[in-house]
Amino acid sequence: MKKRILALLMAGVMVMGLAACGGTTPEGSQPAGDETETAGIAAADLKIGLILVGEAADAYNKNHIEGMQAACEKLGLDYDSQVVVKANIGEDSTCADAIGELIDAGCQAIFADSFGHEQYMVEFAPDYPEVQFCHATGFQSASDNLDNTHNYFSKIFEARYLAGIAAGLKTETNKLGYVAAKPYAEVISGYTAFYLGAKSVNPDVTMLVNYTNEWSDATKEATNAQALIDQGCDVISQHSDTSAPATTAETNGVFAVGYNDDMIPVAPNSALVSARINWGIYYEYALGCLLSGEAIDQDWCGGYAQGSCYLSDLNDAVIAEGTKEAIEAAAAGISDGSVQVFAGPLHGVDADGNELNLAEGEFYLENEKSSAPSFAFIIDGITVLS
Amino acid sequence: MDNLINFLTAGILAAAPLLFGVLGEILAERSGNLNLGVEGMMFMGGIAGIVGIYYYEKAGGTNPYVALIIGLVCSLACAGLGALIFSVLTITLRANQNVTGLALTMFGTGFGNYFGEAIGNADPSGFLSVSTAVKGIFNSPVFPQPLVELPIVGKLLFSHNFMVYLAVILAVVMAFFLGRTRAGLNLRAVGESPATADAAGINVPKYRYLATCLGGAMTGLGGLYLVMNAGAGVGGAWVHNCISGYGWLAVALVIFAVWSPKRAILCSLIFGGLACMRYYYPISFIPSSIYDIVPYIVTAVVLVFVSLKHNRSNQPPESLGLSYFREER
Repeated sequence: MKKRILALLMAGVMVMGLAACGGTTPEGSQPAGDETETAGIAAADLKIGLILVGEAADAYNKNHIEGMQAACEKLGLDYDSQVVVKANIGEDSTCADAIGELIDAGCQAIFADSFGHEQYMVEFAPDYPEVQFCHATGFQSASDNLDNTHNYFSKIFEARYLAGIAAGLKTETNKLGYVAAKPYAEVISGYTAFYLGAKSVNPDVTMLVNYTNEWSDATKEATNAQALIDQGCDVISQHSDTSAPATTAETNGVFAVGYNDDMIPVAPNSALVSARINWGIYYEYALGCLLSGEAIDQDWCGGYAQGSCYLSDLNDAVIAEGTKEAIEAAAAGISDGSVQVFAGPLHGVDADGNELNLAEGEFYLENEKSSAPSFAFIIDGITVLS
Repeated sequence: MDNLINFLTAGILAAAPLLFGVLGEILAERSGNLNLGVEGMMFMGGIAGIVGIYYYEKAGGTNPYVALIIGLVCSLACAGLGALIFSVLTITLRANQNVTGLALTMFGTGFGNYFGEAIGNADPSGFLSVSTAVKGIFNSPVFPQPLVELPIVGKLLFSHNFMVYLAVILAVVMAFFLGRTRAGLNLRAVGESPATADAAGINVPKYRYLATCLGGAMTGLGGLYLVMNAGAGVGGAWVHNCISGYGWLAVALVIFAVWSPKRAILCSLIFGGLACMRYYYPISFIPSSIYDIVPYIVTAVVLVFVSLKHNRSNQPPESLGLSYFREER
């Protein structure tokens, strides 16, 4: 008998551990009120679904939550009762389940934050014309002939360009390293902008890129960063989710430019600055549209000027002299349009062998057709290792 | 040449956490306990170590050596506790080892991520991280600078952190223990045939408990390495899911090393090297995912060879994975 009780206890401990690793899903209890499409939805009746690809505490997802919280606060909505968060929703059929549950819960708008969620959003959209489906980082809305699907993103390449300036001024080996997630346009556009920012202040700079082929895999990102440092890179930047590239840089005595999160707390002697996205700007806009009855843009992309992307605080103890001034000057140029990130002369080749050849004075207009980045050329000066 | 040395060094750094995991698992499996909870115990060891140091520093502690000891003790204790849960369930209560081990992995993963996130979120910076001084202790070379600066051998042999040497010393000690001591012989007897060992007057549960718990504790050091060290690990700041499969790799490695601690050193070097090879010697036409599956393919091949060859000294412990019922002799 004693043994049985002990077994039950042990099993209980494990079950509790399992329960503890699940995400938090604050559930509102009241059903949605009457909705009239044209006059907008009364603030008290608005219910929003938010689908997150990973843990609510991951930097990428946390930024979405914080953006939503800020938007709710500005518009007088109650985040806790009016936003239903579904965390840990993979890019698979669990996403369809989550959308179904959110519709059942009476959400008038559903936001999803990962590229692979889009197909499920598009699947549901025709059957629920009264629900707005807003998808971050996607590209299909402009072409799918559905009024209730929307894409949104930020011109993060503008912030990366500015962060690149900090790297370009800091590097002594003139060799930057970039821990990249996957060989997609979103990533390539980002590291090209970072490199061009560095090059704008340091014409001799070159850059090595290594892919981890994962959005988030701490040990792979660490090994990747270590390899870049071993090959002479003295500023490491990243398009990947964890703080491992920054901590690896710190341990090796080189410098880091982060993404999504301020890296100064984990790498105080090495983090220069981070490029970040403020999703709150879009959420405020989209929720505002729902309240006023206006149509939400099919494709929305906010830039640096709107605050949709921004730089975290500079690490004054580490940055090179003149960094602040150089960034401010370039930021002013980006805001008034006088500085173009992908400006000629620029030469590159994409994966299909297409060539890009921009002369002095010409530039590539990113986000021209969709909010999802499209620049996929590997330009001269950047070497992709693996 | 530089690239080769850098690659080998990175391989050694990636091999150390594997070696801790393999050694721990070899000790447990030699006693007949197939503990598939390595990944979970690594999570437990990793989180407990960094949390211990974090709270020591929060409480105002500044001595990095004290922090180091706290980290090691917490890590050993917590991972050992995980193994103790496993032992009670499988040795005393005779639960199925496979199922219990898998449950321990899930439990440990949740345990680590839950506390990592909860404590990280509660910190004003949003991170569960330790001070630069402690990171330095974990990451700096133990040998004096002149040795480290020797050409070639300096970087290859003397530039590593203390955890790397600790893992190698453990492997050698364990090889001696298993092969040259009475207690080691008893332990192997328990793993081969507990009934015979029992008849010879060896306390089977005692050996199994000790081997599994000590093995679990050792495994926890692998987790601590991944959390505290850079190169292969995340360098002193907790990251969600940061063990990311190293535990499973260690389980596979035990088979690759055919349950020998000495061979485990070489085998974990090979696996560690494979983990970082593609960043140093990229081969453009091989997709990177191939590098990720190579260790498991190698494991499968070794298993096939081991069972084909029937070499008596290269077999898994005879009663591996079986609970011992004294009454059923």
